[in-house]
Parts: sequence; structure tokens; C-alpha cells
Amino acid sequence: MADRDVVFRVKRYRPEKDSKPSYQRYRIPYRDDMVVLDGLNYIKDTMDPTLTFRWSCRMGICGSCGANVNGQPKLTCGTYIRDVHRGVVTVDPLTNFPIIKDLVVDFDDFLNKLASVKPYIVREDWGDLTKEYVQYPEDIEAYKQQSMCINCMLCYAACPVVGANPHFVGPAAAALALRYIRDSRDEGADARLERLNTKSGVWECTFVGECSVVCPKDVDPAGALQTLKFLATMRHMKRLLMPKMASR
Amino acid sequence: MTARPYPWKRPRGWWLRNPRYLSFQLREAGGVVSALYGLILLNMLLQLRAGESAYTAFLDTMRTPPMLYVNLVLFGLVVFHAVSWFMLIGKAQPIRFTEKPIPWKSAFAVNLVLWLGVSGAVVYLIFGGL
Repeated sequence: MADRDVVFRVKRYRPEKDSKPSYQRYRIPYRDDMVVLDGLNYIKDTMDPTLTFRWSCRMGICGSCGANVNGQPKLTCGTYIRDVHRGVVTVDPLTNFPIIKDLVVDFDDFLNKLASVKPYIVREDWGDLTKEYVQYPEDIEAYKQQSMCINCMLCYAACPVVGANPHFVGPAAAALALRYIRDSRDEGADARLERLNTKSGVWECTFVGECSVVCPKDVDPAGALQTLKFLATMRHMKRLLMPKMASR
Repeated sequence: MTARPYPWKRPRGWWLRNPRYLSFQLREAGGVVSALYGLILLNMLLQLRAGESAYTAFLDTMRTPPMLYVNLVLFGLVVFHAVSWFMLIGKAQPIRFTEKPIPWKSAFAVNLVLWLGVSGAVVYLIFGGL
């Protein structure tokens, strides 16, 4: 039963005709079980087919539908209109990213940063691929939290350091680096820590902590970054004090 | 036609848009004023070395109302810096002493108690027991 109205104030940017983004308002009916993504889809289906935004799974798994809702980075599929509106729901593209169109932002820079930390299992010798690499529950527990990352980019939108220094590797890439460093099957920790122990690496993080606040999967990238600082320091000290052992 | 993405620009006053950003900025400011207060203490040692009259003049300056207000602001920011760091300590535990991470509230409480204990001991040493 759609017995109430809400105004969606949506940031629009049409590169073919707009010199800068501006807001457009839409009044839509809503029910208590509608999420912000439902509202955007209602607008697109019935009012304005030119409104552009990303979405896919509608169940908080794919990480496609991130946007700033009333100034806070959120997955629009997991944010109920009833919880966020006071007559108006303002939807902006994720901050800290260039806008391609309307709510669609350019993730290329993030993907390059992610690739730089080798987000996959690295082994020098894969050995017999017909045998499985056994992991015990405690082995999985070591990286399970970071493995929940869905690359939704809310943490990048929340991080003021990313806003100040676009070269900063950022929270999600760091969390995923730790996920693989902690994997008992992986041998790529040294290469990842070398990458992260740079000017654009973990030392840019000033521990604002907002990345962990907005993370919809409780990945705790802020905690991961602090752990990586410790691991990078240990690696550096080991190379300094025991160069022969460190090179092995 | 390939349209250029609209670049994102950080707005002025970004740190006023979220209370946690404001808290972060105050924590950082607390770090800066800690260093400034260190300079004041170093100057005090210099005046002490210069002789009694120089040291007395320094103390007189420090007792003027403007300097008392400055000290009050510095003290407030340093306390905020310390307390907000204690709140973060439990949220980042690269070394685990226990099987499960220590709850951040417990880590905060332990740090706060230790800090108050050490501060109390320093006050006792300086003033000979108040």
C-alpha cells in the first residue's frame, strides 16, 4: 500500500549537455518495505528513463548500488526509505570519485589500486594441483572477515584521506591485501607489503576510522590498515637487522 | 562521443559535514598543540637556565589571563587527543594477546585507568602529595 509520498533529490550529471552536476527532484509514492534503490527504479521506470545508476543483485552482495544517501555512503539496496527520509531523500554519487553520469562514478583508479596489491593467492610453486590445500577452521577464521569485502567502494567514499590524496591505496584494497596475506595457502605477503610500505601505501592512513563505520559487511578496513602498518614495520625491521634471513 | 567524467573536488569545510570527521580533526589538532606545549616547556627550561629573574618573568607571563586561557584550550585539546586515541586503541589490535580480540571498551578503560594513575603519580611527585 503506497499511501505516502517522499521527495527524491537526485544528483544529475549528463556529460553531453551539463557543465556541472545539479539536483533534480522527484516526488514518488513509497511503502515501508521500499529501499532507496526501489525509489530510484520507480523513477527510472515511470518518470524519467534517463536517470542512470548501477545496481545488480538487490541483496547486498554485488556491491554495485553504492551511493551517498543523505550524505552517508550506503548500499541503496539495503537502505530503507522509511529509515532515512525526513520528507526528502538526497542521493548523490559516491564522493571521492569522478562522475561518469548521474550516480555512476568512475572506478578505474580503484581497480588499478586493487590490482597493485595482488588480490589473489600467490605461490611460487603450485605443486600437485590434483591435491587440495587443506585449511582448518582457524585458518579460514584468520582471513574470513576481510574476505567479506564486496568492493562496493563505500569505504573510499567515506575516507577523507582518499579525498585529500587520490594516490592513497585506500581501505578496501588494503583489507583485501591483508585477506591474502593471512591466507595459509598464500606466499605473496612480501610483495604486497613492499607495495603497501610506500608513500601511497598504508602510511597515508591517519586512522579516521570512517571506512569501518560505513562498511556494510563489517570488514573493518581501518583495523586491517593498522595491522598492515605493523606487518610492514616488522618486514622493514627484519630486512634492516637480518638482511640474509629476510632475503630468503 | 566520449564524454569526460566530472572530477570530484573536496568541498571546503568537509570536516564539518560529519561529527566523526570533526572529532578526527580535533584529535589531529590535539597532536599539534601537544608539540606546541612541548615548545613552551622547553622555553621554560631555557628561562630557568638564564637565571632567576628570567624565570620569574616567564612565570609571570604564564600567569596572565590570556596565557591561562591559551593553556586551558591546549589542555582541553590534549585531553581530547589522548582520550580519543584510547578509544581507537582497542579497535586496532595487530598483536593479539588473547584468542579473541579484547573489546574496545575494555582496552579504553584499561588505558584510561593507567593514564590517570600515571598522571596522579606525577602530580604527587611534583607537589609532594596534595
